[in-house]
Amino acid sequence: MSGSGEGHVPARSRVLVAVLNSLRDFEIARHQGWYRIPFDRAPRRVGADFLAFYQTKPFAGEGWAVNYYSPIRRYRLASRRVLLPDEPEHPRADAIYYKIEIGPLLRLPHPIPSARLRRITFIPTTLERLLQAEEINDLWCGGLEEERLWLAFKEQGLSAERRYPLREADPEYCLDFAFFCKKGKIAILVDTTSEIENVRVVRERPLVEDYDVAASGWTLLRLSSEEVRGAQPACLERTLDAVEGHGGLLLTAPM
Amino acid sequence: MRLGFPVKVLGQPGLKSHDTRRWQNYPHLSVSLAYLRDIFLYLDRQDIRMYRMAADLAPYASHPDLPGFHHQIEECTRELAELGKMADDFDLRLSFHLPATTVLNALDEDTARQGANQVRIHTAILDGLGLGPEAVVVGHVGGVYGDKDSALARFVERYRQLPPRVRRRLVLENDDGRFSVADTVWIHQETGIPLVFDPLHFQNHNPEGMSTAEALEHCLRSWPPGIRAKMHFSSPRTAMRLVERKGGDQRSTSRLLRAPRPRQHSDFIDPFQFCSFVREARRQELPEFDVMLEAKAKDLALLHLREQVARFAPEITAE
Repeated sequence: MSGSGEGHVPARSRVLVAVLNSLRDFEIARHQGWYRIPFDRAPRRVGADFLAFYQTKPFAGEGWAVNYYSPIRRYRLASRRVLLPDEPEHPRADAIYYKIEIGPLLRLPHPIPSARLRRITFIPTTLERLLQAEEINDLWCGGLEEERLWLAFKEQGLSAERRYPLREADPEYCLDFAFFCKKGKIAILVDTTSEIENVRVVRERPLVEDYDVAASGWTLLRLSSEEVRGAQPACLERTLDAVEGHGGLLLTAPM
Repeated sequence: MRLGFPVKVLGQPGLKSHDTRRWQNYPHLSVSLAYLRDIFLYLDRQDIRMYRMAADLAPYASHPDLPGFHHQIEECTRELAELGKMADDFDLRLSFHLPATTVLNALDEDTARQGANQVRIHTAILDGLGLGPEAVVVGHVGGVYGDKDSALARFVERYRQLPPRVRRRLVLENDDGRFSVADTVWIHQETGIPLVFDPLHFQNHNPEGMSTAEALEHCLRSWPPGIRAKMHFSSPRTAMRLVERKGGDQRSTSRLLRAPRPRQHSDFIDPFQFCSFVREARRQELPEFDVMLEAKAKDLALLHLREQVARFAPEITAE
């Protein structure tokens, strides 16, 4: 696969999908060739071969979708004051940022839209997924069980949001799948510890407690990895029943 | 005692150890450092305090035909310093292992010069990270070239030619077929270079018939006072392997079972072998040491061993 227009690029190349919230930042990416991430607020995975851009509301026709990506050339650390010298009075002027230097913007074969115009922070993914994704939720790389469920939901026409934050202020805590129904919201959490039996690997994302899910107004379905592996049809049936019990799916999620 | 693992993370998919792009795609040390930062966060989550970084962290940094890549370390001064602070905050002991192409005692001067350059690059990265003296670059003696005494002497000579700041970080490991612990001990006596003990290599190549206890003691006591020694540990593979072999026409393939070779690493570490080894070292009242685990299951082998040690030998504290 040759996606960058340069040498051979393996499909497993890492991609970081980042958010573009302003036309100015898009112009910086396009003409000056860089993007910034606050060092102290950088996601758990910042390293990547490519940067892709999820454009939001200000981009009108191109908004709420990933349209462009670009090979990463370098990561530098610099203060905001150095990166944006015309904003010396900005409250974070002295904060340190990753300045991610990129090559030319490349247009994806087709946009990757968010059907529900959702807010995201960062999505670590692969070039293969980026080039094949039909919608934003296809980008997340989950564990084996999560991926199985996602494909099963898609086959059933069950439109879910993946990695949906429980609270907007704390995107670390997120639901594996979120269903927005006419009479409420359904959260699905898949309990996995490790892909390897008998080895305990600490989860990358913190555990979400049942109480927090319920307190935020969600109906929780917790599925164990054994259930998903051994009884996927039953998991699907439970989900379908729950969606039906909540009046069926809404077309768009409340923002 | 810290336990560490080399390079590749298996416990969480998608954590790359370094920028693996080819030169045409402009790989850079700074990209490797961004990947490394993500790995450090993972290590901290798993409470792993020792890690061997990829030897190719600075891609093509010593490639003679690609001078455009030769200044990456200087270009990353700030990024290295910040990552070093993170390593310090996480109490991470970091190291490099020189690639097999680094042959300090080569007969050919160009190859030897290239080897010395490799050592310089790796030590410069550790210096850039601002790490203490426990962060080392591990290497082997090199080639025999039909005359072991001369090969040993040549290593000593070339080692002495390295700048002091490079020598401070270089340590020497016994190998499994050419230079034994007795050989590395001789080099240590000549130069003072600290020694990394690899018991599996030792079992494979110990023509002097040295005892394990003696070999371990020589290596652990070779480290300067105040710097904790480190050693390698692996279990020999015992499992049968199914291998595919291409036919003469390069199209047909045949499958055959292959018995393990004694130099191969197993997927995981034998916990009983490990516990016995550590108990014996403690019984001898040898200096404390950290252990770099060399197993095919990488971090998963470490996490598994740690649980096994806690179960079977709770008196051994393995971080």
